[in-house]
Amino acid sequence: MSEIVLHTLVIAGAVLLAASVVAALYRIVRGPSILDRMIGTDVVLASIMCGLGGYMALSDRTDLLPVLIVLAMLGFVGSVSVSRYVSKSDSMTPGAEAGALSDFSNTDWHMPRDADAEDSAEESVEGSAEAADRAQPRAEPTSVRAARPSDEVTEIADPTYDVHADSGGEGEGTGPDPGPDDAEHMSTEKGEGNSRGS
Amino acid sequence: MVLDIISAVLIFLGAVLSLAAAIGLVRFGDLLSRMHASAKPQVLGLMLIAVAIAIQFPTWATVTTLAIVISFQLVTIPVATHMVGRAGYRTKHLRRSMLYRDELAEAVDRAEAREIAWERQRGIGPDHHDG
Repeated sequence: MSEIVLHTLVIAGAVLLAASVVAALYRIVRGPSILDRMIGTDVVLASIMCGLGGYMALSDRTDLLPVLIVLAMLGFVGSVSVSRYVSKSDSMTPGAEAGALSDFSNTDWHMPRDADAEDSAEESVEGSAEAADRAQPRAEPTSVRAARPSDEVTEIADPTYDVHADSGGEGEGTGPDPGPDDAEHMSTEKGEGNSRGS
Repeated sequence: MVLDIISAVLIFLGAVLSLAAAIGLVRFGDLLSRMHASAKPQVLGLMLIAVAIAIQFPTWATVTTLAIVISFQLVTIPVATHMVGRAGYRTKHLRRSMLYRDELAEAVDRAEAREIAWERQRGIGPDHHDG
């Protein structure tokens, strides 16, 4: 009697694990983004760990315990590396890039704008019906951000970014001499910055 | 024999949790909901399986190794899930209509405003040399 109960439980558990692996594989195939596929891979890995543990418990194999440790570490490393790869904006911390561009750095404006451009491009590629829905709550901060460059500081910021990107090492010397030539640049290119109308 | 049946029941429960996670993975329509579903067998299912193994082999070597496995899962699964959720938030893989409130957006706006103020304060110095 107890033999029958034991076998029934084991076979039912094996069937459930197989079904869960199949369903997770369905999500891996159908997943709209790579993160969904990563979650599906995690569930497949968890099912494999459960099946391996059940095999260990029912058939006297304690030598497979290190395999469980390796599988646990594999799931962690896999999901962390994939999510680091997906969120590229980790490397775009504005404080780190500020010294690299120039010393007159309200030019960091360009980086959040570029990041938003990439994001909006990605949105337009994916579901266009939801893109409008998702863009709705983000519209407010972008309008704030667009309103601020029209102040007096950032209309100087656009020309200095272009000048120092072209002339190279001049602005990077941390110079206390923002001498006459810089004033010339700003006076000549202020009109350009206004005509650009950004 | 009773211990065998107990551990078989525990393994069956772990398999049920795994199947629940897989069903949630198929049925749910959002990345964050799928993350919520997928964390169950990774921690609780593996705990049940480890208890089943420990019932079968009640030795110190087995139990301590299982404790290492469980504690490793408990430490790493929240970190990995956090990073997946952050990547999903940054690449906007979430349905805004399913959120009641987005506290992270408020925090991001506050951080951006602070950064803007900081940059403006820092940029005013050399500009005022000229004008």
